[in-house]
Amino acid sequence: MQLLDIRNLTLELETPDGLVRAVDRVSLTLKEGEIRGLVGESGSGKSLIAKAIMGVLHQRWKISADRFNWCGQDLLRLPYQQQRQIISRDIAMIYQEPSRSMDPTATVGEQLAESIPDHLLEGSWWQRGYYRKKRALALLHKVGIRDHTVLSSYPYQLSEGLCQKIMIAMAIAKSPKLLIADEPTTALESTTQAQLFRLLASFNQLKGTSILLISHELETVARNTDTLSVLYCGQLVEAGDTATLLKHPLHPYTHALIQSVPEFQPELGFKQQLYALHGSIPTLQHLPIGCRLGPRCPNARKECVKTPVIERQQNHFYSCHFPMTGKSSHE
Amino acid sequence: MSSLIEVRQLCKTYQKALGLFRHKQVLALQNLSFQLDAGQTLAIVGETGSGKSTLAKILVGIEQADSGEVLLAGKKHDCANYQSNNHLIRYIFQDAARSLNPNQKIADILHDVLRYSTVLSFEQREQKISQTLKLLGLLNEHGNYYPHMFSGGQLQRVALARALILDPKVLILDEALTALDPSLRAQIVNLLLDLQQKTGLAYLLITNQLRLVRHIADQTLVLHQGQSLDYGPTQQVFEQPQHDYSRKLIKSIQF
Repeated sequence: MQLLDIRNLTLELETPDGLVRAVDRVSLTLKEGEIRGLVGESGSGKSLIAKAIMGVLHQRWKISADRFNWCGQDLLRLPYQQQRQIISRDIAMIYQEPSRSMDPTATVGEQLAESIPDHLLEGSWWQRGYYRKKRALALLHKVGIRDHTVLSSYPYQLSEGLCQKIMIAMAIAKSPKLLIADEPTTALESTTQAQLFRLLASFNQLKGTSILLISHELETVARNTDTLSVLYCGQLVEAGDTATLLKHPLHPYTHALIQSVPEFQPELGFKQQLYALHGSIPTLQHLPIGCRLGPRCPNARKECVKTPVIERQQNHFYSCHFPMTGKSSHE
Repeated sequence: MSSLIEVRQLCKTYQKALGLFRHKQVLALQNLSFQLDAGQTLAIVGETGSGKSTLAKILVGIEQADSGEVLLAGKKHDCANYQSNNHLIRYIFQDAARSLNPNQKIADILHDVLRYSTVLSFEQREQKISQTLKLLGLLNEHGNYYPHMFSGGQLQRVALARALILDPKVLILDEALTALDPSLRAQIVNLLLDLQQKTGLAYLLITNQLRLVRHIADQTLVLHQGQSLDYGPTQQVFEQPQHDYSRKLIKSIQF
């Protein structure tokens, strides 16, 4: 069943220089039990999309979409209260930089206990406190923390890895249907990263939680996801199964991303030059018209000043006038 | 022939105050030794708190070592004497945007570096600055820009320019590539490789990204709680790690 079905999501911001379109007609679907990766560079609107799904974007943002379905219900057309209710019941998010997004004035235990919803607790109301504590401990064990003193410490006293684990514990406290992980590994070391991905994968398998994994590192996302969406400057450039997408990228940007990772290039000699697109990511105030990769694209032509429509090859979506057909990344 | 930079038996402990009179000794580095030749790259990997950054700070003279010595081309190197020695080993910070003075134009930042460490006249400095900017793929006009006018990749180039303008022998990159976006990172890596080929720079790469290490480092040193565990050619360290910790670290990228 289609859990999340977003069609042509557009996020705009009113600025003194005019309307800035940070996310331009992005479509995203998520099935139940699916792990989808969302890859893009900084400023590509990954976090904005996540926040739009959570409904925590600032009021200044104008959200519009043809379809914003959650389990068949259009969230944007529901009254605010109902919208909040559904989101808080079903969706949880692990925010970027855990130690900064937790409350610095409350202990970890208080915050964890607070995130457990009442309907998941057994017992009468006078027993709630006891069960709440018990459940908080169980959650702590679930994410692999055995040290109970963690509960009485403040976020600044803990390492980034521990904070991250507690964020996950808070997110899974209500057993959500969808877990959004926004750059969960940037602050972590590679051994902790591996642990974290194993943890996420186990929740996915045991409880059937869908996961939206947001990251800018293609190699970590590629290893841990079933499907992948690639964003560039707020435009969806390519989406499809991770394996096919890595093998036969159709969009020049995806191609460049794959080529720039030495791990995906077994034939690349030691200390050889990596493949890189020239130029840098445009700022939101100076976005090029049409395909936003245009000025940096190696095979841009006159037609690229028009925004390409999303085309489809079986389960593989891409938006490019001149897709890289018949070429594999391992040439 | 002695190698370009040689570090012998470096030790460093920090004092951590527990109360008014009690102290705890924290071992940051224990008998660390390594060598680095010109045109080579040494990668230092390890978790946070393993002493990676302490090592870098000792080499550029921000911290003083308790014991041990640093030899540069066979001669003893006094890291703490900035004025005469800071052009030999240069340091690039993690976040270029935050390590450049936002109130100064790029040219002024570079002028300051030259004024402090060299005796060049104004015209000579101008010439040197335009040479360096050109080397890093920037334009002369960029000298009149303020740091906020650059994008991330360009800022990293400016940070590189500030380090390279004194023609150093060794460049320390302390997580300098971590924060960059993939396509920009590829650009900077290419630039670094190119510079190494042209000028024979030696890099000390302090990073968590083992995949990158594998691609660009000649030698790898695994640091754990201030001790060096595995040290050798990158290929050897990655294929036959000797210690449990390094094995765990290397396995974590291959699972």
